Amino acid sequence: MKLGPREIALLGAIAVLFTLPLIGVSGFYTTGNLRNLIIDNLPILIAAIGMTVVIIAGQIDISIGSQFVVCGVVSGLAAKSGLPMPVVILTTLATGAFFGAVNGLLTARFGIPAIIATLATMVILRNGLIRATKGDWIQNLPSNYQWLGLGQSAAQPVYILLVAGLFGVAAWALRSTAAGRSFYAVGCDHEASRRVGINPNLVIFASFALMGVLAATAALFNFTRYPSIESNAGIGLELKVIAAAVVGGTSITGGRGTLLGTLLGVILMGTIGTVFTFLHVNPAWEKAIQGAVILAAVVSDTFFRKAEARG
Amino acid sequence: MADSITQRPSALARWCPNSEWVLLAVLALEVVVFSFTGSNFLSVGNAFEITRLAAEIGLLAFGLTLVVKTGGIDLSVGSMMGLSAVVLGAAWSAVGLPIWIAALLVVALGAAGGALNGVLITKLNVPPLIVTLGTFSLYRGIAEAATGGYVSYTGFPSSFLFLGQGYIGGVIPTQFLLFLLVFVLLWLVLHRRVWGREITAIGFNAAGARYAGVRVGRGTLRTYVVCGICAALAGIVYVARIGQAKADAGSGYELLAISAVVLGGTSIAGGRGTLHGTLLGLLCLVVLQNGLRISSQPSEIAGLAAGLILLAAIGLNQLWSRSQLAALVASFKKTNLSSDGEFNMKNSQVALIIGAIIAGAVLIAASNMFLARSLTQQFARGSEALAPGGPAAKRLVLAMTPKARADPYFISVKDGVDAAAEEFGVNILWDGPTDPDPARQNEIIEAWITRGVDVIAASAVSPDAISTVLRKAQERGIKVITWDADALTDARSFFVNQATAQGIGHTLADEGARLANRTGKYAIITASLTDANLNEWIKFIRERMAAEYPQMKLVAVHPSDGLRDKAMTEARNITRAHPDVKVIIAVAAPAVPGAAEGLKQDGRRDVRLTGLSTPNLSREYLKEGWLDSVILWKTVDLGYLTVLAAKGLHDGTLVPGATSIKAGKLGPIAIEGDNILLGQPFIFNKDNIDQFHF
Repeated sequence: MKLGPREIALLGAIAVLFTLPLIGVSGFYTTGNLRNLIIDNLPILIAAIGMTVVIIAGQIDISIGSQFVVCGVVSGLAAKSGLPMPVVILTTLATGAFFGAVNGLLTARFGIPAIIATLATMVILRNGLIRATKGDWIQNLPSNYQWLGLGQSAAQPVYILLVAGLFGVAAWALRSTAAGRSFYAVGCDHEASRRVGINPNLVIFASFALMGVLAATAALFNFTRYPSIESNAGIGLELKVIAAAVVGGTSITGGRGTLLGTLLGVILMGTIGTVFTFLHVNPAWEKAIQGAVILAAVVSDTFFRKAEARG
Repeated sequence: MADSITQRPSALARWCPNSEWVLLAVLALEVVVFSFTGSNFLSVGNAFEITRLAAEIGLLAFGLTLVVKTGGIDLSVGSMMGLSAVVLGAAWSAVGLPIWIAALLVVALGAAGGALNGVLITKLNVPPLIVTLGTFSLYRGIAEAATGGYVSYTGFPSSFLFLGQGYIGGVIPTQFLLFLLVFVLLWLVLHRRVWGREITAIGFNAAGARYAGVRVGRGTLRTYVVCGICAALAGIVYVARIGQAKADAGSGYELLAISAVVLGGTSIAGGRGTLHGTLLGLLCLVVLQNGLRISSQPSEIAGLAAGLILLAAIGLNQLWSRSQLAALVASFKKTNLSSDGEFNMKNSQVALIIGAIIAGAVLIAASNMFLARSLTQQFARGSEALAPGGPAAKRLVLAMTPKARADPYFISVKDGVDAAAEEFGVNILWDGPTDPDPARQNEIIEAWITRGVDVIAASAVSPDAISTVLRKAQERGIKVITWDADALTDARSFFVNQATAQGIGHTLADEGARLANRTGKYAIITASLTDANLNEWIKFIRERMAAEYPQMKLVAVHPSDGLRDKAMTEARNITRAHPDVKVIIAVAAPAVPGAAEGLKQDGRRDVRLTGLSTPNLSREYLKEGWLDSVILWKTVDLGYLTVLAAKGLHDGTLVPGATSIKAGKLGPIAIEGDNILLGQPFIFNKDNIDQFHF
């Protein structure tokens, strides 16, 4: 993959961020801490892959926080009912695919703008879940739920490898397959993509369905870290993920963006809080700093675009 | 609609260019349904109360209508409310400016914040969603950083509070006038001035507008400035309504306001949209919320219904315009002129529509007053007939609000409430905000006042904020008690005190110090930095530590946002960033299992953990030794006792000055002053945890 100015700037920012803890701070550069950092951000990365594809296709999905927690609860209930883990995983993925398909139908078939359709499904899923669980956590899960029964030390490398593989396949497919390029085509110009023989509505539907499956995948990678499921989880996840994708250079108007950029965005946004904890910065500043980073990224982006235009 | 050039558009299209009739129909349906299901829904008082709830969201939605019509969006309006509230409070309280000067300053701040959005969007050509996503974090972040999250300004002069709490002429909420003024002004601007036409042109096709001589940048930038000013005004009204200024003002309001705008027919792609459409959309949402509350439905039903209406209204609209499109397939290019009806709408037509809406509302309200009066008379007669020894004596209606609906702690209280309700024949209404949000809690109580309940029992998110509505409830003859978290003492009769903030703080500090052998570093994990109750506990923890255990040193207070995931991350970061930390005190129910799981996954046996949580969430970690103790009262008993206190107050068996109350299976419970004391906080550990299941 060729590095653009955006990726280089992001790498620079990440380098600065990772240099700060070198100065008089201990404990950041330990395998344990770095492993935790990675494991904690795996679900965000998985969701961000889906979000990048959705945004490249010119859409947006703000219901993923709700999809995420509903899929988590479904996985817990399935595991509790005694189903074997592979079936639990498939059920969860199917649930995510279903929600994604609903979003896809609402936007592609009924023509409801994505931001409205997914705002509605976000509210409906969240409130429906509160109605169904009354806020109770799913507890007393079978022992093969947490870490899929592998145990923490064995599971963590497996998780990291699985997500690395998933990311690699997704990055390759988005970049180098006709199906992947069709997301760019539709996001760039809906009408032009139709004229060259792409079915834009099908592509949009596919992007939401994929997002649903990935939200479910993220839920599995997140909730199997615990012995119980919090029914209130996932609030604000959509903004985190959108911010990561956008900081990574995905154009919100569609048609532009790479998964490599998204990966860097996830690393940057997911590490700030931890680094600042190690630097003993007052956590009250965290939101303001994150907002400033997002603004800095987008403002710098306009300069990159100008530089690109000049060649 | 699309063929307005070639032929005269149909009457429907002329009158309702954006299918406003769909919203009118929805609104009418809501009114009809709720007048049957809710008590006192159709009354003049409630009609105006609805406008009070609508004011803040409405101000945001009006400003947003302009922005969305240019094809933009502003996610930062809710955060701007928070920043406005903090600046207003600081300028008045800390700097000492007169309150109205401070308010002017805040309006200027809103304009500046909006201008920042606008400049980034128009000058640097950055998409609005991204810019305002950044300022969404930035504005709220500045507000939180400046106040540390916990500072809240109260004690505003009554002339200022009148703006948010008073009535003009006895029935019209003061902010309704501001709401109306802004609506009229912006309506004139959007639908009768050149700038309004420019906005429409920019929204349909910015490049085309530029070629037509429209200054696109300037026209767009101004909409963000207006939107920022509207957000600042909403922030001021918010502060005046709940009587406190804090960094969490207006969180989540942006989504409600955007819902109102798009429901009102404004196209998210720009170009199409009317301000009266936004007003209708807003009313649909607010009436829905209010009506469901008055019909005693919990808030999640309102959320579900709002989502479905949003989908149905927009979906229908899309299908409708598509079917028209199909009919007009030949004149494809003319479809962009679909807003022609909107352009051509005459003043007389607008006046007629608005007149019709108002007339309808008055008619409904009047017929209702008549209906309500005759019904009350019937009821009065009916209850007289039943009263002598009748078993059907009216059941006590007790409305209880927790600080947050989905919090495991409050869910376990609810178990006790349900048990007592069944045992003593009490009807319970149970509703609270999703997050601990003082404004939402006040809205819920307002609805109960309108609906009419016998007793309100509240766990106050914020004592200052809730007291204004509780006093109002008392004025209307509703008995008020508080439980779990007290309001100001004049706003309630009794407080069911499960443990004072001091007691909780000191017990946690004692337990933390004991676990650390009285020396060493400790850290605190809280829910959000703005949670008033938790901040009170933290204050007492620090106070006790400083006074009794000078060797204990606080290294950090980290927020978990009330989420287990974040609590786990924070616990692991704290124990690594401060490797010599000896004790973590987690003061939120989901944070305790989160921190325990974090210690477990890192194998940190050297760090002790205590905190405040429910036994069910803590059991496994206590047994495995990752968690040393959790501190809590018997939450089920708290719910049970609260119901009994409410019943006693209602029946007249509990009067001011009483020194004890007979509490059913709990036996007699002591009362000290106006505090009904459940007893000291209880320490759960691995030895006694199996006796408790809640």
